[in-house]
Amino acid sequence: MATDHDGVRELLAAWAVGALLPGDEKAVPLHLAECESCAAEAERLRETVRLLGGPASGPRLNGAGGAAGGVLAAALRARPRVARVAPHAAPYAAAVAGLQALVREMEGRWATPVVHDWNAHATVAHLLAADEPLALRLGLDARVPASPVPGDTPWEDAWNARTADVIAHELTRAPEDTVAAWAAQAAELLATPEALDSVRAAHATTLMGLRLPVADHFLVRAFETWIHTDDLGRALGLPVPPPPEEHLGLLVRLAVRVLQLALSSAPPVLLAMAGAEPDAQWVLGSEDEPVQAELVLDPVDFCLLLGGRYEPDAVPRGATGDEGAVQRVLQTAAAMSWL
Amino acid sequence: MPVEQAADKTVRVPADAELHRRLVYGDESALNEAYAAYGGLVRAVAVRVTSSPAAAEDVAQEVFAQLWSRPYAFDARRGSLRTWLSMIAHRRAVDWVRSEARHRKDARADDSALHAIPDAAPRPDEAVVDRERSLLLHSALAELPRTQREVVHLAYFAGRTYRQAAVELGIPEGTAKTRLRSALRKLAESLADPSDPAPARGA
Repeated sequence: MATDHDGVRELLAAWAVGALLPGDEKAVPLHLAECESCAAEAERLRETVRLLGGPASGPRLNGAGGAAGGVLAAALRARPRVARVAPHAAPYAAAVAGLQALVREMEGRWATPVVHDWNAHATVAHLLAADEPLALRLGLDARVPASPVPGDTPWEDAWNARTADVIAHELTRAPEDTVAAWAAQAAELLATPEALDSVRAAHATTLMGLRLPVADHFLVRAFETWIHTDDLGRALGLPVPPPPEEHLGLLVRLAVRVLQLALSSAPPVLLAMAGAEPDAQWVLGSEDEPVQAELVLDPVDFCLLLGGRYEPDAVPRGATGDEGAVQRVLQTAAAMSWL
Repeated sequence: MPVEQAADKTVRVPADAELHRRLVYGDESALNEAYAAYGGLVRAVAVRVTSSPAAAEDVAQEVFAQLWSRPYAFDARRGSLRTWLSMIAHRRAVDWVRSEARHRKDARADDSALHAIPDAAPRPDEAVVDRERSLLLHSALAELPRTQREVVHLAYFAGRTYRQAAVELGIPEGTAKTRLRSALRKLAESLADPSDPAPARGA
């Protein structure tokens, strides 16, 4: 009986490790019985695999779980636990954890250019500055010496001066010190009564020109932290996943509210999020006219557009109806230069 | 082939990508899920290399601590979480055996310095030889090109058929078989004593 020499020879390695398909299993021994060269090769590979399995009859643990508790408890200690906070602050807590995870990959890469004229170090310094207004408002202390800005300076000028000062200050220190200062401020923010209790976060306050409930300012912090983490990830070639679904939903709703303020008298456009639940749609613009167009965006793209990370023409979208009305929404969103 | 590859990746990657997303943002339940799915595999790999359940426990702890503390070390674009965990478990287990072997050697050196009896060393028994050859083999495995290592991990450690391995890697079956064969042959060669050129029959 002539068996298939070439076919079996192809299979010998799979045979040796036990990875054959059920249909192959008969063909191999039949051929080995009549082909000396394949039998020798088979013996050589089988001996190799025997030694891979360890000497003697080492225990084969496939599926044996062992003490999950011990392994997991030890593994969990390898990373600080995400702060347990009220739902409005949970996206910020997660975004902080996400940036801390990315920072562990940045050793030796702090000079990598990121966005604007910032390198990775300056980007984290910028976040230290950007979290500061909320921290100060909630009664925490500044972590960088105060900037001498006259009291009647418009908030944008004051903010630009402050972030420049903070970045300049931080660039004189080690990146690790900047990360530690940013992380400590974030931890303090997440330990405030306003982070732990939604009732305490219900009152509105104006920060960076936006009058919003404190709870929403926590969402703004989450939004900005994520967008800059995404910037860092792109610069380092490490794609940053979007925030967890329920957090992303909260960020989208916040972004819609902010956009609605800017479009209150524009021709109305129905905005819907691709792939989201049916109620994730809103009418942007004047309430007194019929809807002129529909615009469908991916929720991540929508956030990136508002974060200034997309040109209005470049964002992937589905649109029907009046193109001018759609353009107005996209241009307005992109021009908010929110971060 | 590119079509097959793309089609498969859309099936496989979302589950890993979603788990990775949750790991990045510090969701502890994601670590529990990863352990439930791959803890057995990680231990099995470590036991094959170390022959020590206690060492395997340490390796598993290190592997899952790394997954938790450095989720960005795993890149879903470059392979599945299963193969990645299996490969880092293997590397850490090999490191463990190497450092064990070093300790043993140091202990022996101390011993012989104290007693200094020439030619009194006992002939290494078969188990010791096997252990040394096993370490040699696992070191060689850890140095194989990634594409070959992945197939070995799936077909050998994870108990997949070559067809399942091909699907998981998004490669044709023939490629999976070829990579597995090249890998095992290289491993077999690493065992061959260079001073003793045994004829490689039928190679």
